Amino acid sequence: MKTSRRGFLQLGAMGTAALTIGSGAAMLTGCSAQQTPAEGFKTLREVDVYFLGALAPAVLTTKGYPGALGKDARQRLLESLDSLMTTLQGHALSQLQMAFDLMGSPVTRVAVGAPLHPWQEATVEEAEAFLESWRDSWLPIKRMGYQGLCKLITICWYSQPENYALSGYPGPPVKVPYPYPATGE
Amino acid sequence: MKRTPHIPMVAGIPDPILEGIASGWNVQDAADVADGGVITADVVIIGTGAGGGTTAEILAEAGLNVLMLEEGPLKSTNDFKMDEREAYHDLYQESAGRMSKDGSMSILQGRCVGGTTVINWTSSFHTPEQTLEHWANEFKLEGASKEEMTPWFERMEERLQIAPWPVPPNPNNAVLSRGAEALNLEWHVIPRNVSGCWNLGYCGTGCPTNAKQSMLVTTIPGALNKQSGLIYNARAERLIIEGEKVLGVEVTALNSDYKPNGNMFSVKAPHVVMSCGGINGPALLLRSDAPDPKKRVGKRTFFHPVAFNFAQFDELIDPYYGAPQSIYSDHYQWLNVTGPAGYKLEATPLHPGLAAVLFMGHGGRHYEDMGNLPNTNLLLALIRDGFDEESPGASIELASDGSPVVDYPVNDYIWDAFQRAMISMAEIQFAAGAKRVRPSHLDAPWYETVEEARDGINNLDNRSNAFTVGSAHVMGGMAMGEDLDKCVVDSNGKYHYLDNLYVIDGSVFPTSIGANPQLSVYGFACKFANQLAAKIKAGA
Repeated sequence: MKTSRRGFLQLGAMGTAALTIGSGAAMLTGCSAQQTPAEGFKTLREVDVYFLGALAPAVLTTKGYPGALGKDARQRLLESLDSLMTTLQGHALSQLQMAFDLMGSPVTRVAVGAPLHPWQEATVEEAEAFLESWRDSWLPIKRMGYQGLCKLITICWYSQPENYALSGYPGPPVKVPYPYPATGE
Repeated sequence: MKRTPHIPMVAGIPDPILEGIASGWNVQDAADVADGGVITADVVIIGTGAGGGTTAEILAEAGLNVLMLEEGPLKSTNDFKMDEREAYHDLYQESAGRMSKDGSMSILQGRCVGGTTVINWTSSFHTPEQTLEHWANEFKLEGASKEEMTPWFERMEERLQIAPWPVPPNPNNAVLSRGAEALNLEWHVIPRNVSGCWNLGYCGTGCPTNAKQSMLVTTIPGALNKQSGLIYNARAERLIIEGEKVLGVEVTALNSDYKPNGNMFSVKAPHVVMSCGGINGPALLLRSDAPDPKKRVGKRTFFHPVAFNFAQFDELIDPYYGAPQSIYSDHYQWLNVTGPAGYKLEATPLHPGLAAVLFMGHGGRHYEDMGNLPNTNLLLALIRDGFDEESPGASIELASDGSPVVDYPVNDYIWDAFQRAMISMAEIQFAAGAKRVRPSHLDAPWYETVEEARDGINNLDNRSNAFTVGSAHVMGGMAMGEDLDKCVVDSNGKYHYLDNLYVIDGSVFPTSIGANPQLSVYGFACKFANQLAAKIKAGA
């Protein structure tokens, strides 16, 4: 593992997982990376939306999205993930996207222990099995991927004001900015 | 019943940065600097944290034309809304997700005008005497004995209004004092750099009341009032080096998404100060191919690896409210200097985003732990790394795009300290009345008794990414001292191999500090900057 890298909330690791675990498979299939953001997002691509959207319910409770956001939950989480990922610098973002690319092709998906069918068809049980296999893996790189995914999804979820009630956090004081007159710029 | 914060509203607080800009400060967004432009100054300072901010004010007061460069954005009081999402996005390196190469260590470090001083928890300690002695003996650091350094620390204590916190600790910190008292362990009140603090608990998201005496509201305005300049969203790409001189620095302008906007410019100055911290500083020198005959740049970078223990109580802890750190114990810190690592015990403020990360894991248990947040206490142990030969710290390497990579193997030496510290924290938490205790380790259940905790922790395993190794303290990587086999910066902060390059920040520390490092950075910066000002004025 001589490639230098860094990652975001430990997800850069998954780019390396891509290289270490799935590169042979990726070459066989000619795994083609799609770079344009999905509709309504600055950074998240379709493949990222499907993967993160499939994992999130299993990460949060195993039973779906907790809290009061209801049917807006998935979209709100994805928007929050998009906002965080948009601030990533070139190297960290490309590592992360390389990892998510793996999740877009059946052959590479299987090579890293994910379901054969596309993530948008995955059940919560399949997402749970995937998470556990990465958490308990003997491969440091998978454990790193597991931690990164959990951190990314949970920090984005619980820092949403609508979800403060889930943690019993009464919330911060209301901040009223000092009312300076507009400069006209 | 819906609860509300103990202080429901923060209003009527002026914003000294907005007012300064309105009064005509020389402050510029790098995106507005012309591509290919050349800017000149007497001194350019790269970085505006504890080292750069302190240095800027001292040099500006000496009558020099100082230009400060900052990679991060300019955010100020009106922007600080006590919201984790905005804070991590705008004020932290890599959206608070900076981490080591194998993912084991999570590093909280500032990235904004004012640097980490904008988001730290205000704990302020002199560099311990044992640490200064170790540096003199092992690294031939000169002029930095306790007697020689104390006046510099005292000057900065006065400048930044540092004093022991006079208010009773919040319940989260009271766990530490109550537990330590019950076990007859020494504990003390933490000195903080605050003035008129509201005791809100939001130091980590940018102080909304201007109480925290960060560089943003003290030395940076001080320098700007003396005709100095500041350019933000400005990433130092490389130093322009010719022979043994640094001519200036090449700068990449960043846009509002913190990505290069395509423009570059340069800053030329007869004196160059690096204050970019122990990760970005070594990376800048490595990108610049700076002379480094012994290959020491970026070696021995230290982090005070942090172990965490949660505890659940019957009573409310509300770990998100009140001064985040007000009590510490050094009971286990200096049993020896080298040998098994000592550690400092403190409390950790817990807002829901940070709590979600530190609880670790996923699914039902994570959800349940989050639900108990109001009754949860979190203690931390700062492991004093770098004193023993088994603790070589991190190496800073470059990724293919030139960004820094932190390689910090969490070896058995560090893990031994983690296990001892987790047991100490569990003992204190149970002595303080905790019902259940759990270290931040995936394999650790909630322990119901102290005996169960001791046994359980002794059987936990050092597996990468199975437990949290935190860090909020970046130190070293460009050690100071006169031993050229170990050091690249001299005892006055000058880079050994270049005539006019100074390193004034935490990266010059030859080991970790053994205490929260901000006052160590301020004290050494105050000393180095005053010496530099005198040298420049003497025409040297």
